[in-house]
Amino acid sequence: MRTIFDKLALVRWLTDPLSAPFMQRALLAALLLSVAGGLLGVWIVLRRLAFFAHAVGSATFPGLVVAGPMGVAPPLAALAAGLGFAGLLSRLTRNGATSSDAATGLLLAGALALGSVLASDVYRSGVGVDRLLFGTLLGLGDGDLWLAAAVALAAAVATAALARTWLATGFDPAAARALGVRAARGDWLLLALLAASVVAVLPAVGALLVSTLLVIPAATARLLTGSLRTLLATSVALAATESVAGLLLSYHLDLPPGPAIAIVGGCGFALAALASAAPWRRTARAVA
Amino acid sequence: MSATARIAVAGLAASYGAGAPVLSGVTFAADAGQAVAVLGPNGGGKTTLFRALLGELATVAGTVAIDAATAYVPQTERSRLDFPVSALDVALMGAYARTSWFRRVPAADRALAHAALERVGMIERAHDRFGALSGGQRQRVLIARALVQDAGVLLLDEPFAGVDQISEDAIMGILDDLRAEGRVLLIATHDVDQARGWDRVLCLRGEQIAYGEPSTTLTNAVLEATYGAEIVMLDCGHRAVAIQHHDHAH
Repeated sequence: MRTIFDKLALVRWLTDPLSAPFMQRALLAALLLSVAGGLLGVWIVLRRLAFFAHAVGSATFPGLVVAGPMGVAPPLAALAAGLGFAGLLSRLTRNGATSSDAATGLLLAGALALGSVLASDVYRSGVGVDRLLFGTLLGLGDGDLWLAAAVALAAAVATAALARTWLATGFDPAAARALGVRAARGDWLLLALLAASVVAVLPAVGALLVSTLLVIPAATARLLTGSLRTLLATSVALAATESVAGLLLSYHLDLPPGPAIAIVGGCGFALAALASAAPWRRTARAVA
Repeated sequence: MSATARIAVAGLAASYGAGAPVLSGVTFAADAGQAVAVLGPNGGGKTTLFRALLGELATVAGTVAIDAATAYVPQTERSRLDFPVSALDVALMGAYARTSWFRRVPAADRALAHAALERVGMIERAHDRFGALSGGQRQRVLIARALVQDAGVLLLDEPFAGVDQISEDAIMGILDDLRAEGRVLLIATHDVDQARGWDRVLCLRGEQIAYGEPSTTLTNAVLEATYGAEIVMLDCGHRAVAIQHHDHAH
């Protein structure tokens, strides 16, 4: 009898939170963003754009701070700030004097500093800053959900249509052009989708934790599998599992959901790293 | 692929962007079945010539006439060896240009990719990750990709760099077969001795130094003009060996 009660308790632990409408919305958002983040994350990781994606996320912070007081829709303000960051980065690295990662670090620090000065001294946003930096899956509006759905759909369509272009371009850019692949167009579309997905995940995980959905699941999947199809599938599955697990933990332990998902993702990566370094896997690889 | 592949270049000058030409005065022609060794120092214009022939660079002057599909076979270390692509995936890239974005690569092209891997002796490794193959095996897969492109003209960028002797022999055999089928091969190389074995040599150093049959073209004067101080003469002036370089940015 006792085991049945234990099982029921576990089931209740899993299902009780979902009786609340705000948790249902959060779950829907988490699953939609997992599709977008899981798919695009694979391309972000393969193309070594993880730091860039993190920086674009951070760069949206000043945009988010001014959006409320100025009466601008937060996604638009975030997008404008992210595009401004990309433009400045391109300008700074144009003559080759500053390397791309140094310029990215510089602008990332500048954006966070600007946002924090605007928040504390100009607009006195106070408590809202936490939410802008770390998000909250528990207070999403209809607009956030629609944006998540649109970006998930766009990521799925783009992955189906552009996988070959992105694969060949990332594999060897110079040879890709000679293969007749439209590398430049594919790259622009990838960067545009990256910007859109950053904006879509902001309300859920905030400006500082976009990597939670856009990098960690894909980087973890990369440790576990070698083919593109399974990489994409594993990345989406991991993103979904980690965000649902993080959401449940956040409900039961009263943690902020964004950081809870990030912690679950980090633990998942550590487990995958341990599993992929295990002796039996090394032997299997050597034989293969 | 036709047995009439031919390439004719006259007075070609090419530049990157709006700058001054980095390569000029290139005039040569190669007929079906000919292999042309392209010799020159780093930055001498070998890769520039290839990019101009592929139509990637603006030609400032001159004409390029190629009456066959042209494929570029890059050095294998240039590709990302950690990418999740198998040997078959890489061969299939040869069919990307003719595959609509909303379609799978058609069965006929898949069969072509299998056949190409079979030809270069890599069919048994078709599903192995490209990055897990040896340098010579990767080179053979890239040649298979050019075959899937149905190229009559192959531009090979140092196909023997970083390749072991067994693979070198295998690649040499494949290139001989391709010549026998009437394809034209342009082979960028640093190996002057090996260049003597091909049908023609083209010597570049920012401009064309010489073009012709190896026996009459590869004179000490031409080699010195091509390589300047980089050349080391051996064997009483009858043989010359260029100092090896493996990285070249241009």
